[in-house]
Amino acid sequence: MISIKNLHAEVEGKPILRGVDLEIPDGEVHAIMGPNGSGKSTLASILAGREEYEVTQGSVTYKGQELLEMDAEERACEGVFLGFQYPVEIPGVSNLYLLRAALNARRKYRGEPEIDAVEFMQMAQEKIGHVGMSMEMAKRGVNEDFSGGEKKRNEIFQMLMLEPSLAVLDETDSGLDIDALKVVSDGINRLRSPERSVVLVTHYKRLLEHCVPDRIHVLYQGQIVRSGGPELADTLEAEGYANLETDEAAATS
Amino acid sequence: MSAAEQIDPSIDHYLAEFSRVERDLPGSDDSKRTRSTELKRFADAGFPTTRDEQWKYTSLQAVEKRRFEISDEPAAIDKSALDAFMPADFEAHRLVLVDGHFSQALSDLSGLPDGVTVRSFAAHLRENDGVDVRAREIDDEPGSIAAMNAAFFTDGAYVETASGAVLDKPLHVICVSSGAHDDRMTQVRHRYVFGDNSQATIVEHAIGLGDKAYFANVVTEALMGRNAQMTRVRLQQESERGYHVSAFFGQQRRDSRIYNHAFDLGGRLARIDTNSRLVDQNAEVHLNGVFVPTGRQHMDNHTTIDHDTEHSVSREHYKGVAAGHGRGVFNGRILIRKDAQKTDSDLSCDALLLSDKAEVDAKPELEIYADDVTAGHGSTVGQLDEDAVFYLKSRGVSEEGARAILTYSFANALVEQLGIASIERYVEAAMLKKLPGGEAFADLA
Ligand SMILES: Nc1ncnc2c1ncn2[C@@H]1O[C@H](COP(=O)(O)OP(=O)(O)OP(=O)(O)O)[C@@H](O)[C@H]1O
Ligand SMILES: [Mg+2]
Repeated sequence: MISIKNLHAEVEGKPILRGVDLEIPDGEVHAIMGPNGSGKSTLASILAGREEYEVTQGSVTYKGQELLEMDAEERACEGVFLGFQYPVEIPGVSNLYLLRAALNARRKYRGEPEIDAVEFMQMAQEKIGHVGMSMEMAKRGVNEDFSGGEKKRNEIFQMLMLEPSLAVLDETDSGLDIDALKVVSDGINRLRSPERSVVLVTHYKRLLEHCVPDRIHVLYQGQIVRSGGPELADTLEAEGYANLETDEAAATS
Repeated sequence: MSAAEQIDPSIDHYLAEFSRVERDLPGSDDSKRTRSTELKRFADAGFPTTRDEQWKYTSLQAVEKRRFEISDEPAAIDKSALDAFMPADFEAHRLVLVDGHFSQALSDLSGLPDGVTVRSFAAHLRENDGVDVRAREIDDEPGSIAAMNAAFFTDGAYVETASGAVLDKPLHVICVSSGAHDDRMTQVRHRYVFGDNSQATIVEHAIGLGDKAYFANVVTEALMGRNAQMTRVRLQQESERGYHVSAFFGQQRRDSRIYNHAFDLGGRLARIDTNSRLVDQNAEVHLNGVFVPTGRQHMDNHTTIDHDTEHSVSREHYKGVAAGHGRGVFNGRILIRKDAQKTDSDLSCDALLLSDKAEVDAKPELEIYADDVTAGHGSTVGQLDEDAVFYLKSRGVSEEGARAILTYSFANALVEQLGIASIERYVEAAMLKKLPGGEAFADLA
C-alpha cells in the first residue's frame, strides 16, 4: 500500500523527521506510538499532504505512485484519509454538505457523475448509525459545538463515508470514554479489508486491544526506533519509552 | 459665485447640468429653492477629497473626472437581465426605478395593506406642495454628495405607514442603472415615514446593468415614529463600471427599532454612510454589514450612531471579505452624548483578507460624554485558518474551493441574522460566485 523510505522533514528549518522507514502492506493495520513531540502528527500530516512541512530527503510510494508529488486534494481522491488529532470546526457548513462535496470530488476525479441525492442520504443514514451519531448532528455545521468525543466520532463517520484505501488516524482514540472508544474501534474494524490499510497513531494500548494491529512501531525523535507485533504495546506500557535511547542504535523498522 | 471661484470644471458641469434639468425636477417652488441651496452647498464644497478625514481612504477622483448627466428618460431594459437579480422565493411588493425614474410597468404595488402608502417619491412631491425635498429634521449637515443628491434627485420610493399599520410582506425597492449610455448618473432619494407602532421591511436593491460607466447616488431618509420597527436591507450589486455612493439618515423616536443589513457586492467603488440618531429613550438600532471587495473594487462603510438620550441600544457588526486587489474600509462612529446615560452599545468589525494584495482598514470610533454607559468595541483583520484549509483539502476539496467554503462560513453567521431566508441564500450565493472557485459551492447558500 505505502512505502516510506528515509523520510526527512523539517519545519522552519527545524528537523522533525530524521529518516523514517516504514512499509505497510495492503490490508494491514499498523500502529505508531511514541512520546509527545516525537513527530507522529508530522508524519501523518505529511502523508496527507500538508505543505507546511518541507521534505528534505526520502520518498513515499503509495499504490506505486510518488505520493509526495500529489496535492492534498489529489491524495484524498486517490484514497488517502487523515483522521485529525484536532478536527476543525466550520460553522454554517453542514457535515453532510462537506461529505457530499468530498464524495463528488472523488467522482469527478475518476470521471464519474455526481452522487445521486437519495443514494447519498441512504448511505449517510446507514453510516451515521455505525458511529452512534444522529442525522440531526450530521446536519449541523462541521464539528460546530461538538464535544471532543463527538468530533472524533465524526472523523470516523467521515472515514466510513469516504471509504479510503489508506486511513491514517492521528490519536482518534485520545480523550474518549469507553463507549466512544468502542465506536471508534468498531468503525476501524468495519473498514478493515484486504484492500485497505490503516495507520493508528496512539498513546494507548486500550485502542490496540479493540483493534489489534499487525505491527507496532515506535517513533522517537523523528525515527522509527523499534518495531514489533501487538505484544510490543505491553512492553511499552510496562516500561514506557525510557529505554529507547539505548535501543536506538539497534533499531529496525 | 465670482469668476475667481469658478475654477473647478467639474462643478461647472454640474451647475450647467442643473440648469438643463431643473425645470423637470419634481417638487414645489419651495422645494426648488431647497434644491438650489443644496446645489450651492455642493458647488461650494466640491467633491470630497482624501484630505477630508471622512474620506481619507476613498478617492472620488475617478467620479470627479467624469461629467455625469441625468437621464431624461429611462433606457429600455431587458426584463430577463433584471430577472437574474431576483432572489428565488422572495415574496414582495415591488417598486422599480430605472435610471432614476419610476417604472410603472416593472413595479407591482397592488394589494398593499390598509394604512401603508408606497409610491414614487416624485409623484408624491408633485401632488403635495408642503413636502420638502429634504427631511431637514434628520440630515441637518449633509455632506456634499448628499447635497448633490438633494439638488438633482429625480425620483425614489416614498413609503408612509399609518399608526399601527403593518406591511404584510417586504417591499423590494429596485434601483436599476441601465448602463446603456456613457456617463449617466442615477440620483435617487427614498423617504420612509413610519407612524407610531407601525412596522415594515424594505429591501433596497441597487442593480447595475450594461457596460457603461455611471454614478449612482442614493439617499434614504427614515423617520421612525414611537415604537415603530423597520428592517432595512441594502443590497448593492452595481455593475463593474458603477460608482455607488449612498447615505442613510435615520431618526428614531421613543422605543423605535431599526434593523439595518447592508450587503455590498458590486460596483467599482462604493461608499456607504449609515447614520442614525436615537433622539428619544429606549430606541434601538442594529447595523449589520457584509462587504466583499474583490478584483479592484473599493468599498467604504462609514457609520454614525448618535445616542442622544437615555436608555438607548445599538448593536453594530460588520464583516469584510477582501480578495484580489480588493480594498475595504470600515469606520464605525458611536457618539454617546452627555444625556445618554444607560446607553448600551456594542460594535465590531472583522475582516478577512484572502490575498496578499487585499486590504481592509477597520476603525471603531467611540465618543462618549456620558458616564454611566456600556460600550464594547473590537475589530480584527485576519486570514483564513490554514488548519481549516488543510482539513478541507484532505477531504478532497480543491484549494480554492476550501477557501470559498471557509469564507462562506466566516460571513454566514452574520448574514443569517437577517432572518429572511430567500435573501440570505441569494446574498450568500452571490458572494460565493464572486470568489475564486466559489461558483461550484454556490449551493452552500
Ligand atoms: N508547524 C510547526 N511549527 C513549528 N514546530 C512544529 C510544527 N509542527 C510540529 N512542530 C514540532 O515538531 C515536533 C513534533 O511535533 P508532532 O506534532 O509531530 O509530535 P507528536 O508526536 O504528534 O506529539 P503528540 O504526541 O504530542 O501529539 C514538536 O517539537 C513540535 O513542536
Ligand atoms: Mg500528535
